Amino acid sequence: MKGNKVIPIETHERVPARQRTNPWAKVFDPFMDFCRSRSLFLLHYCTGCGAVELPPTVTSRFDVERLGIQPMVTPRQADILLVTGYVATKTLKRILLSYEQMQAPKYVIGICSCTVNGGMYWQSYATVKKLNEYLPVDVYIAGCMPRPEAVLHGLQQLMEDIKTGRANAWQDYFNRYDHYLGNQQALFGDRWQTPTDIIGEARHYGLLGEQTLGEHTALLERIKQPLEVPTAGVFSPHSETRET
Amino acid sequence: MSESKAISHRLDDVLKEIEGVRYTRQSKTRIRVDLDADALPTLLELLQGRAGYVHLSAITCVDWIDADQFELIYHVWSYEDKALVSAHIRISRDPGRYVSVYDIYTPAAFFERDIHEMFGVYFEGAPDMEKFILTEWDGPPPMRKEFDTERYVNETFAWQEYNPEWLREISAQGGGIAVKPSEGAL
Repeated sequence: MKGNKVIPIETHERVPARQRTNPWAKVFDPFMDFCRSRSLFLLHYCTGCGAVELPPTVTSRFDVERLGIQPMVTPRQADILLVTGYVATKTLKRILLSYEQMQAPKYVIGICSCTVNGGMYWQSYATVKKLNEYLPVDVYIAGCMPRPEAVLHGLQQLMEDIKTGRANAWQDYFNRYDHYLGNQQALFGDRWQTPTDIIGEARHYGLLGEQTLGEHTALLERIKQPLEVPTAGVFSPHSETRET
Repeated sequence: MSESKAISHRLDDVLKEIEGVRYTRQSKTRIRVDLDADALPTLLELLQGRAGYVHLSAITCVDWIDADQFELIYHVWSYEDKALVSAHIRISRDPGRYVSVYDIYTPAAFFERDIHEMFGVYFEGAPDMEKFILTEWDGPPPMRKEFDTERYVNETFAWQEYNPEWLREISAQGGGIAVKPSEGAL
């Protein structure tokens, strides 16, 4: 990969970094970014055929672990969400649920042409064309399907972006939540909601921007229903153990 | 040898028993049968009960929009004959209703439910005509010919810009190819 300058892939306007008042931040923030870029956990959400390129990438042939990247089993413990292949409208809901469960900072990589622009399913009524309409994407790896070398290159690009503090797409989800939610509602209908409180999290991270709240989030607030809690009559393992 | 001959005779007997059946042997293992829609349940019952065609592989639906008809094709397989009989019928497209063959072949429930979802054909007597795969779809049945998929896609989804600024930057350094073929393999 010599002679290839790593260029950040810009999918939208970058969010300016938070103002830091602590003078040590100048030292520790780049150090933290470096450490973060060397320890990444992949959640490979295998939506489509591109997932077959991941076993060789992860296992001994290309061995992604030498870059400090490992597969991980749950979204809550993962840093990178790999979307490998076509995204059906039904699947997108599950991707969003996984994505919102992940803890920030989190990164999204769209693998295969299908995540870029629908790929060979461009005419299909059932697949989503542009993944970054619905959640922010850090790196796209085009190809049908990209070979493990390309996947590695994409991962290296992401590492470079993290190291230099440019991989801030996850902040965009909080900053412009209304925009993303609007696109999701256009596809899933007005009753769409997820169990994660994105606005609350945006407040927590200090990322409540001008476009976080808007008409779409207002609609969400109106229809929002509390999560189901097990009632007395329903069997639940927890209530059972408490009684005994 | 004589046994397999006896089996194919059984198939011939069954096919001759029903009036208005036209059949062609396309190969040793494939027989195409064309018949009226009313006669199909009888044929399937005879094929299953008397000729050993016990396995319903699939039900296909074809939308002939110009003829205003749906074609339903029932593929049944015999493990003894090692042959596939495809029974073709045509039904009118407008009400789009037909009888279920669930009582003859149980797996038909899935195929009929799928066809109902994709083409809107209603099967009377089927155990379940609810949504099957497209649980979150509320548009028209998408495999019908009058449903313009391309128009729907253009109305619903946004397209990626074909040649954005950032891509030009990447193409300038070799189209994002990490290792050029001339530089050899990894």
